[in-house]
Amino acid sequence: MSEQLTLYLYKLSPYSQKIELALTEANAPHRTYQVDLFNKPEWFASKVNPVGKVPVVTYGGPNVEPNDPSPLSAKIAESNVILEFLADLYPDSGLLPKDPVLRAKVRFFIDASTKHIEGPSLAFILGKESYDNILKGIEFIQELLEEGRDFAVGDHYTIADACISPSLARLKIITETDLGRAPARAFSREVESDYLETGKFPVGMGYKLGEELKGPKFVKFMKYVHRMLERPSLKQTHDEESVITFFKTRFTERVQ
Amino acid sequence: MTLQLSPFSQKVELALIEANAPYRGYHIDLANKPEWFTSKVKPVGKVPAVTYGGPSVDPEDPSPLSAKITESNVILEFLADLYPDSGLLPKDPVLRAKVRFFIDASTKHVEGPLYDFLLGDGSYESVLKGIEFVQGLLESGDFAVGDHFTIADACISPLLTRLKIITENDLGRFPVGLGFKLGEELKGPKFTKFTKYVDQILERPSLKQTYDKEGVITYLRAFFVRAQ
Repeated sequence: MSEQLTLYLYKLSPYSQKIELALTEANAPHRTYQVDLFNKPEWFASKVNPVGKVPVVTYGGPNVEPNDPSPLSAKIAESNVILEFLADLYPDSGLLPKDPVLRAKVRFFIDASTKHIEGPSLAFILGKESYDNILKGIEFIQELLEEGRDFAVGDHYTIADACISPSLARLKIITETDLGRAPARAFSREVESDYLETGKFPVGMGYKLGEELKGPKFVKFMKYVHRMLERPSLKQTHDEESVITFFKTRFTERVQ
Repeated sequence: MTLQLSPFSQKVELALIEANAPYRGYHIDLANKPEWFTSKVKPVGKVPAVTYGGPSVDPEDPSPLSAKITESNVILEFLADLYPDSGLLPKDPVLRAKVRFFIDASTKHVEGPLYDFLLGDGSYESVLKGIEFVQGLLESGDFAVGDHFTIADACISPLLTRLKIITENDLGRFPVGLGFKLGEELKGPKFTKFTKYVDQILERPSLKQTYDKEGVITYLRAFFVRAQ
């Protein structure tokens, strides 16, 4: 593979982090370019992603500077689509197993993680829902984890692990710092409606969720979380202090 | 295992037929699920569900030795893996990404808004916006991506059949006449590419084989009754 691959990302975004994890675990040569979502360069929407979101990957085409993208490269958006793309580019990396049934297990895990963890976690941190759905989601995911196995599926790090780990890193932050609510400022016009509603994240709810997760019911899940958060690829791509600072500026209103 | 009326099940049937994959179909009455279905075909007794491998048993007596796979989009990818030369997914990674992006767009921008609209919870403007987005992805050919029927086409076609019913019969919990209005908008010059794609896909034998129009109309009439 000598085609260029450039990842446009926002370093605090969990969706961007999924891709960084997969690239790191697969040892895939690539370049990254940080996009400031609050101050997007004009060329980003016109030359890279008309929807204006990250992560996006450009693949192939001439070797240009990331801030001067070529119309000749393929542009691929949507984090889970990019994960599959990387698994296709690196079929021997283990990002996806070779066996069709195991591949289906990876995809089912990704679907479950998106539906049952990502969704409820976002709703919780925005103060729209209690953490009940997160716990139900964690129980569902826990059922999929096999005893004695280090990874979500099989014996190798797959895109399933890459997909869920950023959510796990943020759950850890919420339970340790009790940060959450509804910010006054939207990330972008596309998600404005999500963020302008007032949330009700009562003080202490984050800590309470953390306490629940320490119970015997979630031992298997927490072991998996710990393994994922200890991986070098996670530590390399996760700047916890910056994410906490980011959360602090965005999630500051609390309800007594 | 399918229910003829479920669009999610239809996605899978379409892919199986287009790939010429040998399979057995077993219809599950969702209103009256057999006990063995919920206990032996995990995880939550949903359809569509596929069992793969294991001994050749009666569909009503599934073996614990077969793999059980649920979630329609996961099953579509599984079939593309089982039949790599069927064209269900192209071989080129960039084209494969296009198929997956189309599936993601179809789910987010058409399926979601259409069901909300049908339930009376959404606007028909969202449906039109979603269709416009998907139309932007269509190339000039007969298929969603490339020149072969892929899981992208399998994924969106069941929605298109239901869209047609909604606009031709004004069926749904939205205000009276909005279904017809949606249909009129889609006949306009702005949506020529989309309408052309819809017409082509719905003419395919696989669509006609898997689509019980009268059955779906009856089902939609029963479930999406307007509050008077």
